[in-house]
Amino acid sequence: MTQPLFDDNPMIASGLEPESGTLRIYNWNGYLDPKIKKGFAKEYGVKVEETFFTTTDEAVQKISSGAVDYDVFFPTQDRVGRLILGKRLQPLNLEYIPNLKNVWPSLQDPWYDKGSQYTVPYMTWTTGIGYRTDKIEKTPLDYANPYEIYWDEANRGKMFLLDDGRDAPAHMLLKNGITNINTEDPDDIALWEKELKSLYDMNVKVSTDDYTNIPEGKAWVHQMWSGSAIGAQWYLPEGVGTDALGFWFPADGVGTIGSDMMAVPKDAQNPVLAHHFLDYLLDVKNGYSNFANYVGYQPPLTKLDPDTLVADGVVPKNLKTAIVRESDFDKGLPLTELTPDGQVNWQNAWAEFRAGV
Amino acid sequence: MSEPGRRVGADGGRENRFWAGLALPGVVWLCVFFLLPFYVILCVALGSLDPILLTPAPEWNPLQWNTAAFEFVLDNLFTPGAAFETVFVRTFFYVLIATTLSLLIAYPVAYYVARYGGRWKGLLLVGLIAPFFISYLMRMLAWINLLQDDGWVNSVLVWVGILDAPRNWLDGRASSVILGLVYGYVPFMVLPLYAFLDRIDRSLLEAARDLGASPFQAFRLVTLPLSTPAILAGVVIIALPMFGDYYTPDLLSGAPQTSLIGNQINLYIRGGQQVPVGAALVVVLMVFLTVLMGYYLFATARAQRRLGG
Amino acid sequence: MIRVRTWLGNPWGKPRFLVLFTALYLVWSIVPILIAIRFSFNEGRSRSTAQGWSLRWYTGDPDASVLHDPTLHSALAQSLRLAAIAVLVTVPLGVALAVGLTRWRGRGAGTARGISLATLVTPEIVMGTALLLVFIELLTFIPLGTVAQAIGHITFSIVFVVIIVRGRLLAIGPEYEEAARDLGASRLQAIRLALLPMLIPAVVASGIIVFAISMDDFVISAFLSSGTDTDTVPVRIYSQGRTAPTPALNALATVTLVLTIVIALVGFLLWRGVRAARGQTGSTVGEFAALDAEGVR
Repeated sequence: MTQPLFDDNPMIASGLEPESGTLRIYNWNGYLDPKIKKGFAKEYGVKVEETFFTTTDEAVQKISSGAVDYDVFFPTQDRVGRLILGKRLQPLNLEYIPNLKNVWPSLQDPWYDKGSQYTVPYMTWTTGIGYRTDKIEKTPLDYANPYEIYWDEANRGKMFLLDDGRDAPAHMLLKNGITNINTEDPDDIALWEKELKSLYDMNVKVSTDDYTNIPEGKAWVHQMWSGSAIGAQWYLPEGVGTDALGFWFPADGVGTIGSDMMAVPKDAQNPVLAHHFLDYLLDVKNGYSNFANYVGYQPPLTKLDPDTLVADGVVPKNLKTAIVRESDFDKGLPLTELTPDGQVNWQNAWAEFRAGV
Repeated sequence: MSEPGRRVGADGGRENRFWAGLALPGVVWLCVFFLLPFYVILCVALGSLDPILLTPAPEWNPLQWNTAAFEFVLDNLFTPGAAFETVFVRTFFYVLIATTLSLLIAYPVAYYVARYGGRWKGLLLVGLIAPFFISYLMRMLAWINLLQDDGWVNSVLVWVGILDAPRNWLDGRASSVILGLVYGYVPFMVLPLYAFLDRIDRSLLEAARDLGASPFQAFRLVTLPLSTPAILAGVVIIALPMFGDYYTPDLLSGAPQTSLIGNQINLYIRGGQQVPVGAALVVVLMVFLTVLMGYYLFATARAQRRLGG
Repeated sequence: MIRVRTWLGNPWGKPRFLVLFTALYLVWSIVPILIAIRFSFNEGRSRSTAQGWSLRWYTGDPDASVLHDPTLHSALAQSLRLAAIAVLVTVPLGVALAVGLTRWRGRGAGTARGISLATLVTPEIVMGTALLLVFIELLTFIPLGTVAQAIGHITFSIVFVVIIVRGRLLAIGPEYEEAARDLGASRLQAIRLALLPMLIPAVVASGIIVFAISMDDFVISAFLSSGTDTDTVPVRIYSQGRTAPTPALNALATVTLVLTIVIALVGFLLWRGVRAARGQTGSTVGEFAALDAEGVR
């Protein structure tokens, strides 16, 4: 869809000099290489500072409330619509972001923000199931219904779901063959709530630190984002090799897929600098370095060939399933925005699960 | 002792106004930054949501208050099996058990230092005061370090033979959370208990002994009743804040089944699009705690009367 | 059994069980901290097993040590900044409030006293929520971050100053001021010359307490933070402790602890000096510990 533009929320003028203040970034933890921040800071002679959020809900609430001003924000595509309508993000002046041409064509003009008016893509990912090959007996592939592994008694106390009120329920829906993961049908919502609650016997935990929980051995089975699976290799303790990591995603590609993006909040103090930062991250060299050395999530840059990533040693062979291709978006299931009522119903059901009832 | 303000005459009113004036800045500060925020919570709880961003839109006019959030919370709170009811009951029991355990630990320690401290009293008190200067989180951190799979607790228990293999203490157990609460809050009970017990007149105990009471009887009939105000104060000082704790279960568990009412409040206030519900939860919690506080005041007054004022 | 009987029969003798119990309590209370401090000197990354000795996490590691990691030393700076502001504002405000409340008779005094003590029984999450909402929805000219956090700390700590100073005031009584007034001093002069010098121990004690409370505060600092630059040490320990903890966190906590102890020691020695100058005997520590009981009336 084409997002609306508003008169009282104009984009910045072209040809301005970048500001000299501190660039304030609001992001997930472990989602941006400190070396990238240092490189940008050096090149532009500014300070770069990053604040972390742990859940999408928390981030959206902070940005929505307007109580804090960040310069760069990393939203997900299922929440961006409301932020735009609420005028919390400013339209981008793409003249500052020539590197946008490095991105996959389908995401240069994405379905959720035609013309990239407010966002540019950052990372693509899928949601699968991560596991420790050296700790568990049965992998998802050993089950007729791979999602059943969440109920494997052998992993009690070592089983994690993502602390995300959309991703975790999605897997419960997919377990039951429901591919509309954006459903607002009350029966479907009741179903995934019931499925989640049945996991209490497994002492299930929730976390968004999948990229450390698995390598540290806190978790043996973890609902996992694909980039975390790849990134986990850098958090392995001594003596544990990358062959201990495993990642499963449906072979037919019918699983959760998504793309995170970068945006500039409306009240940013350093908007020009922010635009330059977005451009900096879309540079192929920086994007590749960010991905291959620290984050593990894949930027949708055309020059990044998924097939050579294994050959280059960036992605361990046993984690090939975690690589995302442009064509995956054809069959994959993206999370889309819910209606306000739907949002409330989903959230209440999620809160019930989180209450441990 | 004579009290000021009893001076009769033209000075009386001015005297009072002077003292009131001295207290004024502090009272004004508390009104603006303590009482007013409570009104804001009320208005948020009784307000609505901005339709686009789903941010709270507080309703300042009492005539237009929207009770939807309260209805949701109260309904959820009194329906057995519902989220809030379960969490609230769970919080109540955790606090009850943790407070009782804390009392069982704090009382003997405070009693010992108060009665038998002697030469070592200063040093012992330093030991009791020390935790105040160590950040609560640092103490929790230390405790978590010990509870890791390869930490000391497991090593010792396995070596002694109580455990066959290291146990995962941080996987979402109620016992870990409750013991964590005890570890964190017990220092806050020991000091007030000590202060009260230190004041108990030793001659009363001697009198009881002279009248033929055994040591246990002396304790039961003299010391224990005299320490009732102390016990009540200690309980209130740790139980009320414990009701709002959310970081202890987060650090020691992370599982939904040990989440407390503080976690739910945190979820709604900072993590979602239903801030009015969170605000309503806060109001309900405060009402509950005020009732408990009222009971404490009543019980203390009654105890004071029994002891002769 | 006979030994137990003898022990029970002599209540003025050393109660061995209580001795043991208290010793165990002190060990249980303090030893984990010492162990955490030990691990802060680890050479490796572990926070649960001993791995050599090094200052790596304090100064050595170029990325993650307290000296080099900007988030860690900015947290330390923020904690100290807030603690200093808290002490400088809360102590005068609280002393005035305590003196005023104790001597004020009549309408409103009881209510004022109630309001002053109310924060003591308010859980921090309630206060944090209240302040967050008031700064976002009503007093929006006050931004989140240092200003908001400082206001939160002051509001939360004022009750402790009130309790301590009130306790002291009730013990002192009004005779000294009345004597000064009889000799012709104005009310303000009486306070300044007769009362305040006697209150110094209480003022110093409350300053130490406010400092410690502010350094230790977590919930209010977290709720009112505007980002990583205004995170305090406890907030950093909490957020980093849940994701990628290294012994640097232990090092940070140790540094904070040492600083807090140093400040407290300075205050304590000051107080002891004043007492010695006045010829007071007895345990200073004991007086400190007894201060809190009186004021909650």
